[in-house]
Amino acid sequence: MGKDFLGEFEEVVLTIVGVLQEEAYGNAIVNEIKLRVGRDATLSAVHVTLYRLEDKGLVKSHMGGATNTRGGRRKRIFTITSAGMATLQAMKEARMDLWKLIPQLKIA
Amino acid sequence: VKKHTSSGLDAPQWILTMLRWFCPPQLHESIEGDLIEEFQVIIQSENSDKSALRKAKIRLFFSVLRFFRPGILLRNRFTISLTTTIMLSNYLRVAARNIAKRKTYSFINAFGLSVAIAFCSLIYLYVEDERNFDQFHEKKESILRIYNVALDREKWQKKDPDLYRTSAWLPAKLGEIMLDELPEVVDMTRFNRGSSATMRYGDEIFKQRVSYADSGFFKMFTFPIKVGNPHNPLRFSSDAVITTEVATRFFGDEDPIGKTFELDLNETKTFTVAAVAESPPSNSSIAFEIIIGIGNQPGFEQNREQWGSFAYPTFVEVKAGTDLSLFQTKLDTLVSKHLGSVISSWWKDDDIPDNITLSRFTFDTLPEVHLNSKVDWEQVSDPKYSWILSGIAALILFIAIINYINLSLTTSAGRRIEVGIRKTIGATRHQLVSQFSLESVVLALMSMVIGLLLAVTALPWFNEFTQKTIHFTVESFPKIFLVVFSITVLTGLLAGSYPALFLSRFQPVKALKGALTSKMNAGFTKPLVVLQFALSAFLVISSVIMFRQMKLVTTKDLGYNKDQVITIQTSAGWGDRATQTVSQFRNSVGSMPEIVNVAGTSASFNRGWAHYGYRINDTTRFAYVYRVDEQYVPLLGIDLAAGRNFDESRPSDKNAIIVNEALVKEMGWSDPLNAYLNYREDSTGLGAKVIGVAKDYHFLSLERKIEPMFLMMEDRTPLTTVLVKISSDDIPGTIEKLKATWKSLYPDRAFEYSFLDDDVSRQYTLYERWTSIMALATVFAIIIACLGLFGLAGVNALNKTREIGIRKVMGADELAIFVMLNRQYVILSIIAFGIAAPVSYYTMQKWWLSGFAEKAVIGWEIFTLSVIGGLLISLGTVTYHGVKAAGINPATTLKCE
Repeated sequence: MGKDFLGEFEEVVLTIVGVLQEEAYGNAIVNEIKLRVGRDATLSAVHVTLYRLEDKGLVKSHMGGATNTRGGRRKRIFTITSAGMATLQAMKEARMDLWKLIPQLKIA
Repeated sequence: VKKHTSSGLDAPQWILTMLRWFCPPQLHESIEGDLIEEFQVIIQSENSDKSALRKAKIRLFFSVLRFFRPGILLRNRFTISLTTTIMLSNYLRVAARNIAKRKTYSFINAFGLSVAIAFCSLIYLYVEDERNFDQFHEKKESILRIYNVALDREKWQKKDPDLYRTSAWLPAKLGEIMLDELPEVVDMTRFNRGSSATMRYGDEIFKQRVSYADSGFFKMFTFPIKVGNPHNPLRFSSDAVITTEVATRFFGDEDPIGKTFELDLNETKTFTVAAVAESPPSNSSIAFEIIIGIGNQPGFEQNREQWGSFAYPTFVEVKAGTDLSLFQTKLDTLVSKHLGSVISSWWKDDDIPDNITLSRFTFDTLPEVHLNSKVDWEQVSDPKYSWILSGIAALILFIAIINYINLSLTTSAGRRIEVGIRKTIGATRHQLVSQFSLESVVLALMSMVIGLLLAVTALPWFNEFTQKTIHFTVESFPKIFLVVFSITVLTGLLAGSYPALFLSRFQPVKALKGALTSKMNAGFTKPLVVLQFALSAFLVISSVIMFRQMKLVTTKDLGYNKDQVITIQTSAGWGDRATQTVSQFRNSVGSMPEIVNVAGTSASFNRGWAHYGYRINDTTRFAYVYRVDEQYVPLLGIDLAAGRNFDESRPSDKNAIIVNEALVKEMGWSDPLNAYLNYREDSTGLGAKVIGVAKDYHFLSLERKIEPMFLMMEDRTPLTTVLVKISSDDIPGTIEKLKATWKSLYPDRAFEYSFLDDDVSRQYTLYERWTSIMALATVFAIIIACLGLFGLAGVNALNKTREIGIRKVMGADELAIFVMLNRQYVILSIIAFGIAAPVSYYTMQKWWLSGFAEKAVIGWEIFTLSVIGGLLISLGTVTYHGVKAAGINPATTLKCE
């Protein structure tokens, strides 16, 4: 993994971007984190993380549609890149490998 | 139910504007959209009542604030607008032209700003020097200076609101038990600055101050050893460490290491130079010239066994990372274990309630020592002086800034066309603001160069007044330059901001059409003039009061005659040899025609005193005590209110005293000449008989009230000083003769003399310094303010040219014109004085006069005189323009269109 190492919060955001597909923008990700992980993330934290992931090439973004509730402002939609998918995959496997090393509790 | 519009207009615009300030443009739209969405969701989910709206707004505000973080901010691409860069050269050229065109105003502004900047840089140096005290010690943070806070018997008796006195002089043993019993303490040294002693090397005699310390001294403090034993230079009790200066003075070019010399400390001892250390820098709380082991200090061995001898300042080094509050608790426990019963035994007769702490030992770290003004220390300073100086610098800077603002505003009419044309061609308001700000910054930078030169020139003078040795060095200069540069740019921006905003507001159409008269309405100048005058008036009144007080102090009749008295130290220690010196010297020089009288005393004025406490009828009384001889009272011309002087031919006078009126009053004696004062607490006798009552005279500084005092002739206290009263002509010649006699009588003692009136006036050096600094600041403040007023009056007269012309045509005479022009300045000055008078009165009462028991009276005449003086100065300033404007022939002014 090396330099592609992801922080825990980055991993959560990246995964959610993968989950939401075409609906992945700031607020939706905050709500999804609340719903799925049960954790209050601030909008600014999510935005900063998204931009950092974009810098690393794990997500890319384009401007989407505007809605009334947004006062006519467009959304920035994030989509996961294949590099992003690969990183998620690698991290999952690495974790599973580690998990297997824990001695399983035996019930006598 | 209120229907929500889709535009997001419910979201407060100012919060969104705030976001726009720092948010990178490429990210802005989506972030703002997300924020508005979040805002709307809250409003809609909470049934749309009022509180929901409030809640949503608060949430929005904090959400925006959270975006103010590096992850967002650093995504800004910083760009310099090309237009501004190209225009920069134009701005600079126009600024230079403007400065050159209005020479008078530019001079007034530049003068004010450079003086202000010079003041600021000097005072910055002062404050920096104060803060740098003792910072050079490598272990500074782990070295603690221990001090004692103890109930003061005299204050307790007098029910003083602050019952405690604080002192760094501690029992010798305290340091030893701290080192032995507290595991945190790794090292300890006592340090006594000591006093002047006679030192002999070969045939030469020097008078040198000798300090005492424990052997750990050079390990704990960073005073580099230049030659000699660097590890333990005070190992043997005969080891001495001297500074490089002393080494050169004593031994010249010879190698000082291993040289032996003799020192007179009660008895004569021989010491060997073990090491030469660098002289402590001027910003060190600990100073020394010669250091010898503390065991050599007279009385050390006895004092070491007694908890009652508070004579040894103590420093300890604690392990790095020691919890100091925990350390305090441990110290308290240690003290109560060893000292608790001793301390309570000192107070057993006094019925002190249990909740009153009798004595406590605490500490501060070495860098704190210099500014801890509660604890008396040779080099201690009060941080309030830094504040006062900074305040004075700020006042002057402020006055100079007001000049700039006022002059730019009132001369703004001339820039009208320029602003109009620039705007027509396409300059934005923002660009104009930067242009005018740049102009003021350019002027400020020019002033900075002059100001720094002024500061460098004035530095020796400044050092003298503040008793510092500050230098501009290659290392310190960049830092100073940076600070002064920041102050300058800030000043330029501050001074330029209001004029810039004001000028850039002109509407091009109106400005170019010339619809406005040549007079622009800049109403804000008047309050600024009042403020400027009030600040100057504050300085004026304060310095007048300070001068008053200094005059009182220096000219007050002290109750004795201090003129033409020379004091000579007997330099023979504390014993009979010292006492005998007085009569021997009198016999030798008494017959000289220049000598009027010779007397002896145990302490000359401002060279120490003795303060006794003694119990009479179960009350502790305090009095100052001077051992004198029979010539003392006549020599100083002290008036006796009753009784007689001492008479050495009567043996009983050895046990007699002369008291002052304050003591009579305190004892409540109706017939003092039949009274006895048992100050030695002699249980068998009545005590000392009072043979005379001296009229009260100021034996202490005028900061203090005259307290109870008595003179005595008891032999146990020696005479340490010879007083010689001489007749007025040829003082240097007389001193030469005295010196020659002294040398022949005492070849082994230095002839150390001073003039009594110098000693007395030295008590007020600090006050005199402050008075001079204040006076100088006042003079500059007045000059700057007057120059500003001069410029302002000129512009105003110019603005009213046509009005004056019309008035003259209608029949007004020159006096009427003069009054018309200057009436407003009189009114403004009076308002300013009205504001300044109570403020300065209060400040001076609090800060300055509270230091003196003998206070100068602040009467109405001080204020009246200041007001009249101020009015005259300001009228004098504006007269030139007034007379000039009033004298112009109306024909020339009215036909100009």
